[in-house]
Amino acid sequence: MTKEALVNTTTRKIVVAGVMGAISILLGATHWGFIPWFAGAALTIMHVPVIIGAVLEGPLVGLVIGLIFGAFSLIQGAIAPTGPSDVWFVNPLISILPRLFIGPVAWLVYRALEKLNRVLALVVAGVAGSLTNTVLVLGMIGLMGHLPWALIGTIAVTNGLPEAVVAAIITLAVVAAWLGIQRGRRGSRLG
Amino acid sequence: MEEEGALSEFEFLRNVTIGQYLPTGSAVHQLDPRAKLAMVVLFLAGVVISTSLAGLVVALAAVLAGLALARIPLRYALQGVRPALPFLILLALLQVFTIPQNDVGTVLWKWWLLTVTVTDLVAAALTLLRFVVLILGLSLFSFSTNTTELTHGTEHLLRPLQRLGLPAHEFALAMTIAVRFVPLLALEAERIAKAQASRGADFGHGRGSFVQRTLRMLPLLVPLFVTALRRADTLVMAMEARCYTGGKGRTHLIHLHARRADAFALLVVLLLVTLLLTATWLKVDARIWSWIL
Repeated sequence: MTKEALVNTTTRKIVVAGVMGAISILLGATHWGFIPWFAGAALTIMHVPVIIGAVLEGPLVGLVIGLIFGAFSLIQGAIAPTGPSDVWFVNPLISILPRLFIGPVAWLVYRALEKLNRVLALVVAGVAGSLTNTVLVLGMIGLMGHLPWALIGTIAVTNGLPEAVVAAIITLAVVAAWLGIQRGRRGSRLG
Repeated sequence: MEEEGALSEFEFLRNVTIGQYLPTGSAVHQLDPRAKLAMVVLFLAGVVISTSLAGLVVALAAVLAGLALARIPLRYALQGVRPALPFLILLALLQVFTIPQNDVGTVLWKWWLLTVTVTDLVAAALTLLRFVVLILGLSLFSFSTNTTELTHGTEHLLRPLQRLGLPAHEFALAMTIAVRFVPLLALEAERIAKAQASRGADFGHGRGSFVQRTLRMLPLLVPLFVTALRRADTLVMAMEARCYTGGKGRTHLIHLHARRADAFALLVVLLLVTLLLTATWLKVDARIWSWIL
């Protein structure tokens, strides 16, 4: 596209980082960011904009979106917690630090597999980015002594794995729609 | 009621309350945003680390004084505490009844497996007080600092990092774009939700595995992301058309000047944080208790 050739890539990166950060904030502030699951537990998709931004614009953009996402979950933990565990996120070691790694990990995985198969690369990047979030955040919660390690292991499996699947589905759907990748006739049907 | 509930499902903006700004033009509002940013970070860190009840009471008094100085109605500021209150009370109750290592010291009340001790009550009071102070402190900052000031402040404070090759200006700009885009995307999200609902979509209600539920959310999420990326494209073009070239050699319309009042305010907060930490380390609370009892 000639349009792209004209555009300064730095400007693009700044703007995409900002806009994806905004989506992350929006998903957190509304109920859209949570997919209800059994027993009142919810799967969060707030970290998906970080993965998508990293895949589209690179690791630095992913890092910045992760920072915005983390800062927002800190503020939300202090101002409008949606559950008792949200309150732990006032600690930046839990809310911000782990989120910085989501983007770079997702980007690395995507770059490694891109040549092989783009659809596969997107799915694995979604899973890897999401698992980075689960493992590091729960790890920090464990280190802070908020929850016993046995319970953390259970949460990692029961919440982390479905979250990774959900993140992979959304990453694939959004990036494929944006880049116009052919993926059969399974478009965005209504349920 | 029913109808109201059904409609409020589409009103996403109502839930987005962060970053409210109340222009009262007070002395607090006129402080240098760099100083305010440094103050809020120091203050929050001090409150998070401190475990002294007496120290936190002083911090609460300081925040209330700050709110009065900023001419922000107390009732308005307390509205920010209200949504968090149920969780805070739940958390405090959990601490009173469930954490066994707190069950030392004077037993006040005992029934079956439940024991309430003085230590329990102090731990619960600490949790409650800490979060009220945190929320009021953050609110005071957001009420008295607008987005532009926040961006300039962040950029200036990050300037030392720029020497190390980190893009401070770019980061501050990305943050501003994020904050500015939230209400815009909220409106967009509302439009998409209504459009899909009018086509018979039903999201988030039905049964099914989490994969099916995610697939049901795609008609909302894919257009939301794609619209956002399209808007990003437009914004890039608009910035390019105005010859935006990044932070290098850029001059500012607003110049920040630190004044004596800023130094004074910063000093007050530094003193407060020192007080909070020394109260924790010297275990001032225990001394006050033994003095009272």
